[in-house]
Amino acid sequence: MIELNKITKKFTLHNQGKTNILVFNNLNLKINPGEIVALTGPSGVGKSSILKMIYGNYVFQSGQIKINNHNIDHTYPRNIIELRKNIIGYVSQFLRVIPRVPTIEIVMEPLLEINSDQDEVREKAEKILLKLNIDKNLWNLSPLTFSGGEQQRVNVARGLIRNYPCLLLDEPTASLDSVNKDIVLNLINEKKDSGSSIIGIFHDEYSRKYLNAREIDITKISDAK
Amino acid sequence: MQPILSVHNLNKYYGNQVGCKNMNLTLYPGEVVGVVGESGSGKTTFINSISGNLIPDSGKILIETGNETIDFLEISESLKRLLIRTELAFVHQNPRDGLRLDVSAGGNISERLMSIGQRNYGNIRQTIFKWLDKVEIDKSRVDDFPRTFSGGMLQRLQIAKNLVTSPKIIFMDEPTGGLDVSVQAKILDLLRKLVRELNLSVVIVSHDLAVIRLLADKIIVMKNGEAVESGLCDQVLDDPQHSYTQLLVSSVLQV
Repeated sequence: MIELNKITKKFTLHNQGKTNILVFNNLNLKINPGEIVALTGPSGVGKSSILKMIYGNYVFQSGQIKINNHNIDHTYPRNIIELRKNIIGYVSQFLRVIPRVPTIEIVMEPLLEINSDQDEVREKAEKILLKLNIDKNLWNLSPLTFSGGEQQRVNVARGLIRNYPCLLLDEPTASLDSVNKDIVLNLINEKKDSGSSIIGIFHDEYSRKYLNAREIDITKISDAK
Repeated sequence: MQPILSVHNLNKYYGNQVGCKNMNLTLYPGEVVGVVGESGSGKTTFINSISGNLIPDSGKILIETGNETIDFLEISESLKRLLIRTELAFVHQNPRDGLRLDVSAGGNISERLMSIGQRNYGNIRQTIFKWLDKVEIDKSRVDDFPRTFSGGMLQRLQIAKNLVTSPKIIFMDEPTGGLDVSVQAKILDLLRKLVRELNLSVVIVSHDLAVIRLLADKIIVMKNGEAVESGLCDQVLDDPQHSYTQLLVSSVLQV
């Protein structure tokens, strides 16, 4: 369960004339287990900011964010690190990895955090890569040279190899062809059916309908202009 | 969980000049803390002051060994030396500062082992080979002198030399500074693997924000000897609150 209560978020740009940008004032949101919420609205309205606040990536000025009853509290970074290890998964828009590390190892990494059986983890990583149509010949190469769609699927594989109780998805299907899009959407549906609370940004209506997502139009609750 | 290392209100002055001031740090087992800031901001003074290389003027450094909490600045010199050889390790920016160049690669790795009382040649030799393998240096180089090694190999040898006694806390001062980018990537990959495999706790100093982002869980941003901002690494880099951090983050060139 993900809960946001009375969140205020603003950016203060100290080096650009101390400009204040108010993004949210009194933002409330709740995502139940087994539910998918899709954030909609034009770019710059604060969709990604919501995901980043939940992940602990952005601070907020007031209010409360609770993940399975744990507070996101920046005075205790250790707690956020633990939450990320155990409860919150995040599929970002872009892949950020150490150059030259093979794809298979990148996908294995999140699972190795909780399971030290290399063979078992490798097997799971291979399974999800196969499912996502990443050619076997690519597994031992770094994904940095892959096509956009392939990189995105590696990113998805890495994010979905585990079963997180809460899952944040930042346009996980944006650069995928229709076949691969359906595969990713099916994987997300599996996570939903297993009881994850999922919140994401999906730019196409097709994906949102496919996932049977509850849509929230951020323009109605955002203060960003 | 207890922090393995905690630093409270640490100060180090050079005469009237501030080295570092009011520094705090909490490091948990398996955690990597990055210290960033421009040249002269006090990063190296700070890491030297908490690792036994420099004696700070005031403050408290507590090290948790599992059985007891050690007050690092209050213990005897001999106990401190023992800790530095066993529980702590320091990886220098220039591997030549951390290695003996007139001693073979294997000899460098065995030094810490012998200093904690290992004497069995066969066992020591085996441990050396295990570590050469871990840092991807060919076994056949074991009896060569480090001066015949490339810069990247030297840095990997320095890492092996330091980690061989399974220290709990590793201090690193710009471990990838001065290496070309492809070698840097290899060292970063190695460090990340070792941190996970051995559950290492690391304090790493770097002026390279990209290196810190890839390695660190938490970050301390220093300016003029003081911490201006600290917290979760990606949060501080993605949503910096202090004007100096904002300036630092926005000054990075995009490739």
